[in-house]
Amino acid sequence: MLKLLKKALQVGEATVEYPFKPVEVAPGFRGKPEYNFDRCIACGACATACPPNAITMEYDLKQGTKTWNIFYGRCIFCGRCEEVCPTGAIALTTEFELAVASKEDLYYRAEVQLRKCSCCGEYFAPSRELEYVMSTLEQSGLPEGDRQGWRQLLEKCPQCRRRQAAVSVAEATGSRDRVQGGGQ
Amino acid sequence: MEQEVKLAELKAKLKNVIKRSVYVYRVDCGGCNGCEIEIFATISPVYDPERLGFKVVASPRHADILLFTGPMTRAMRLPAIRAYQAAPDPKIVVAYGTCGCSGGIFHDCYSVWGGTGSIFPVDVYIPGCPPTPGATIYGLGLALDLLQQKMKGEQYTEKEVARITSQYAGVSPDLARDIEREARRLSGYLHGRRITEKYLQFVREDPLAVDQKIKELVKQEKDSRLAEVYLSLHKIYLDYLGKTEKAGHHAG
Repeated sequence: MLKLLKKALQVGEATVEYPFKPVEVAPGFRGKPEYNFDRCIACGACATACPPNAITMEYDLKQGTKTWNIFYGRCIFCGRCEEVCPTGAIALTTEFELAVASKEDLYYRAEVQLRKCSCCGEYFAPSRELEYVMSTLEQSGLPEGDRQGWRQLLEKCPQCRRRQAAVSVAEATGSRDRVQGGGQ
Repeated sequence: MEQEVKLAELKAKLKNVIKRSVYVYRVDCGGCNGCEIEIFATISPVYDPERLGFKVVASPRHADILLFTGPMTRAMRLPAIRAYQAAPDPKIVVAYGTCGCSGGIFHDCYSVWGGTGSIFPVDVYIPGCPPTPGATIYGLGLALDLLQQKMKGEQYTEKEVARITSQYAGVSPDLARDIEREARRLSGYLHGRRITEKYLQFVREDPLAVDQKIKELVKQEKDSRLAEVYLSLHKIYLDYLGKTEKAGHHAG
């Protein structure tokens, strides 16, 4: 008995005082994915990578918005979203106290605006994403003179851009034909 | 409707009466056993929920709290309903784990109904895949109103278009990409990103002193593997410098 007591005193308490004191989490613990709205470019890489479809992305072309949505009740804390995020907008934290009484509290939503095509007037891509492209181009040394042209290009939707390219090619070849025709 | 109001009242009363000592019965509705293992880890002496009054019992007839784990599968739906009916009213229903909350990664399987909520009114959701013992105790504490809820649903809307710049501002995107790619290849995305950040911080602060700083860092670093990673990143940086210098000469 005395031996046992001695041993117990030597070993000390094994129980953690969790609800009364914060518990220590292991390094590399994968907890709640924290979303940073100010860094998100709404590219949708996380939604594509998410294995259980906890992160979803939806276009609303009438309203001109793209909605990012995470449902923590479906998240399996794998960290794939953090892995693929190009701007570091989403990262796993060590937060684990996620229990809620109502399901609504498990949803986080974010709405970003889409850009309107300067040619056909339809919404096509998140403005933030295009701005990110522009700033990356500027950082990699795009000359000041070219910026205006690039900016105009980014204001157009891919279809209008394609049409414009087709028209310019047709004009170029047409004019050559005419030139050839004139020579004959 | 009247019955629901009555049940809510009874539940409030239950929380008053049981105060801290509650019996928990766990119902496995077709999970992978990850949640079960975590529940058993929770009732070990390390977390010892019995000091708070939580006890896992073997029959739903004794239970105050029903813990539903796993996605609600077709085969386990009836047993789950039977367990629910066997537990005396009022009872607290807890959806445990990601699968219990919403069906989790199995939510669109042909044989899955999709979470506890698809059949029973759920009082508390405990997400996590699986929830750690800490999360379990927190969730059970929340079920009895002993602890405060921390999560709140959030909604962000963009009013003005924000200009988001690259993560490693001030460094050439080509260099940042090459360095991050190599760091991730060598040590995974998580540490790779941290290492990249640290390395590019040197480049950002003073491009001329990078060589010296890296040499110091490598000398001090106890983990030889990490030192090796830094050296290989540094090689990429030196190559990049050589290339840009050459290009500069050509241009000049």
